[in-house]
Amino acid sequence: MIPIIVGGLLQGSVFAMVALGFALVYRVTGVINLSQGAFCVIGALITYTLERTLGWPVGLAVTGAVLGTTVFGIMLGAATFVPSLARLPNSSMLMLTAGLLTFIEGLLLVVWGSDPYDLPPFSGEMPVTIMGVRVPTQGFWIAGTTLIVILVLWYLLSRTMLGKELRACAENPLAARLMGIDVPRMTVLSFGLAAMIGAVGGIVVAPITSLQFDSGNFFTIYGFIAVAIGGMGSFVGAVVGGLILGVVQQLAAGYVSSLFSDGLAVIVLLATLLVRPSGLFAVGVARRQDVRDEQGVQLSVIRFNGRQTAFLGVLAVVLLAALPWLVPQSSGLLSSLVITGILFIGVLGLDVLMGYTGQVSLGQAGFMAIGGYTAAILAVKLGWPPLLGTAAGMVLSLISALILSLATMRLRGVYLALATLAFGLLIDSLAIGMMATTGGPSGLVGIPSFSIGSLSFATPFSMYYLVLGLIIVLILLLLGGMRSSFGRALQAIRTDQTAAAALDINVERYKVAVFAISAALASLSGSLYAFFFHFLSPEMVDTSRSFEMVTMLVIGGAGTLVGPLLGAALLTLLPEIFQPFALYKTLAEGILLVLTFQYLPAGIFGSLAGWLLRFTNRQTLIQASDVRLVKDESR
Amino acid sequence: MSAPALRVTNITKRFGGLAAISDVTYEVLDGSLTALIGPNGAGKTTLFNLITNLFTPTEGEIYFYGKSLNGLSPRQIAGLGLIRTFQTARVFPGMTVLENVLVGAHRRVRSHTLKQMLWQASARHEERELTARADGFLEITNLLKFRDVAATDLPMGGQKLLEVIRALMTRPRLLLLDEPAAGLNDSETSELASLLRAVRNSGVTVMVVEHNMSLVMGVADQVMVLDAGCLVASGSPQEIRKNARVIEAYVGQEAAV
Repeated sequence: MIPIIVGGLLQGSVFAMVALGFALVYRVTGVINLSQGAFCVIGALITYTLERTLGWPVGLAVTGAVLGTTVFGIMLGAATFVPSLARLPNSSMLMLTAGLLTFIEGLLLVVWGSDPYDLPPFSGEMPVTIMGVRVPTQGFWIAGTTLIVILVLWYLLSRTMLGKELRACAENPLAARLMGIDVPRMTVLSFGLAAMIGAVGGIVVAPITSLQFDSGNFFTIYGFIAVAIGGMGSFVGAVVGGLILGVVQQLAAGYVSSLFSDGLAVIVLLATLLVRPSGLFAVGVARRQDVRDEQGVQLSVIRFNGRQTAFLGVLAVVLLAALPWLVPQSSGLLSSLVITGILFIGVLGLDVLMGYTGQVSLGQAGFMAIGGYTAAILAVKLGWPPLLGTAAGMVLSLISALILSLATMRLRGVYLALATLAFGLLIDSLAIGMMATTGGPSGLVGIPSFSIGSLSFATPFSMYYLVLGLIIVLILLLLGGMRSSFGRALQAIRTDQTAAAALDINVERYKVAVFAISAALASLSGSLYAFFFHFLSPEMVDTSRSFEMVTMLVIGGAGTLVGPLLGAALLTLLPEIFQPFALYKTLAEGILLVLTFQYLPAGIFGSLAGWLLRFTNRQTLIQASDVRLVKDESR
Repeated sequence: MSAPALRVTNITKRFGGLAAISDVTYEVLDGSLTALIGPNGAGKTTLFNLITNLFTPTEGEIYFYGKSLNGLSPRQIAGLGLIRTFQTARVFPGMTVLENVLVGAHRRVRSHTLKQMLWQASARHEERELTARADGFLEITNLLKFRDVAATDLPMGGQKLLEVIRALMTRPRLLLLDEPAAGLNDSETSELASLLRAVRNSGVTVMVVEHNMSLVMGVADQVMVLDAGCLVASGSPQEIRKNARVIEAYVGQEAAV
């Protein structure tokens, strides 16, 4: 029991340190920086290179790595985070930082490869025995460092002028700016400080865990959970949350099963979110309902008229229908096209939820998993026909979506993102843990092809047309809904729930409805995915898939229905076409996501459509510039 | 005589020790146009927030055509036909001007979502009818030429007018307008005045918070004056113009002597 708790506290110290980084940036900017965990890995890997490859002494290597990571963090923050902060809504900022996480992971993969690295302990391998408990010496380094970081951070924020300025930015950025505080510089500084804390945490923990390019994901998710349990923006909360999380996780691993250890951590998180949504040590201010949440949000408006929509729609369908004859039969390209289409169905659901209704979801792959596993298990173990299994998966997904949406009804923005992330992790941990039914980590094999009655879709060719047909039907249905009062209600809820409710729009009911629609579509996508691959493993539908789907949505163009198809195609087909450059895939994905946020806020489709509209509708453009003139005069 | 459109009895709202509204009682008659005036910080917007239950009153009751609003959610209150606008124009970003106005029609839409998704003729017919009505409103507010432009691209005055006609699209029984003329230029203000008169004449009861005295005196049947959370005067525009306490509240203590 005691060794487990000690192990948990050590593990928890690291979560606490990541959480402190989160809390710092959140306090100054109001944004959760998902790239935080990646700085741990950068710090550790630079230390490895300096110490092992270049032979620097430990102290010098660690100092060099911490400074290097901090400088990198400052540069990254100044180039991407700060310029976007003023322009993007908070949900987009969250996704921007997810893009930064992917970018850093890609960079690490290119520089250090995919091998795991571990550092030697700072003071030898021999554990120390205290009162019968063996504690690795590194444990003292971890605990000590955590304590020092907390003390220094506390001193900096509450006892120095710099700390006062940082806190002023957090309390009221506008007033801080009027007082002559350089808010962007403070934001960069907090970003750099957070990177530094991350690097320190990563370096001290590296000797007891092996790290690789994508370990940042793990640190980010657990740091995020820790800070949510403790209370966003609270430093005490970050530390307590981290320690609780570490202990819970080790206890679960020790007494239940390491396969379920994620699951229990997630349950603790969900319980916290439901009982005390703002965390144990919340520092929140009451929100004023009669003022809009985010004042300066600008969303692009792209509207084709009826004739243009019909023309472009028919053109697109003809092109897509001809596509299988245009690609070389022997290549795997046709399969990739099918996968694009299948994933697009799931992203379409996400588009209704996120793009149209503004509800951030990082758990879309969780519903894919429910749909995929239900249909696959029913087909493999009970011999159910695929169509029936798919329907059963959708029913199960709808029920889960109903529960999830009712439970998270009060949550907004980053808390909702967190709850959906937790849901995805929970489903993932069930898929891994329920070995007997799901096949566990190694996956479920022998899944039949999709069929309707005696009509089998065993070839990529037939599957392509099935998926295309489904997509056309779905887009027509959704287009019908989105251009009517249903879609308008969703778009009203997207940015301003209070004003929507003041117009007699039942916000709760619409939120449940869109959760249901998005879950059903993800479930369908998951089932088709399993039937197409004849195989399903947890990592095919895990959290990184959820993030990928969000990336597809954003790159393609959120809130445009067809835009995400471009995003899905880009992320699925590019790696296929540029096979030799597979190493650079993650890096390219990250760069694409960050650049899209910074330069194409309406996504690829939005930019293309904007260009096309400028080309055809001169009239609209003149009106828009008229408006600007009137606006300038009235100033 | 029918029940008053709105009856507020002994309403008080305290934030901590501060009474933002103290013991306010008043009635808004069915079919009237009532203006609520008072200096900054007098509690006018707070009163609106209490009526629509964005804030829960500390004490007191509010009745809408004889029905108590106690415990109803803001959405349910809107469902009764009590529709408000906000002090800062809250147009919906990412939607065109026309779409913003049509959001107001949401509660009048009878076609089920499924019918809309299946592109059924009845749903499309209804959509055309609503659009025609919205176009009519855009026409009289001179916004028709900006119909398909992003609503957030409109100047402030346009956004305020847009919010008023969006509220009208709901076919309200009682319309609460929070400073609709703020940010409007003179010609826009006179358009707003004639719009308000037309609305009142069509049988909708209107209550408006406003700073623009010429607008208030020109259109209101009844004026109520709020100062430091208390109702200090009410009456016809002529009576209010002469009321010493109103002058005191607006101009200051010395001038009142």
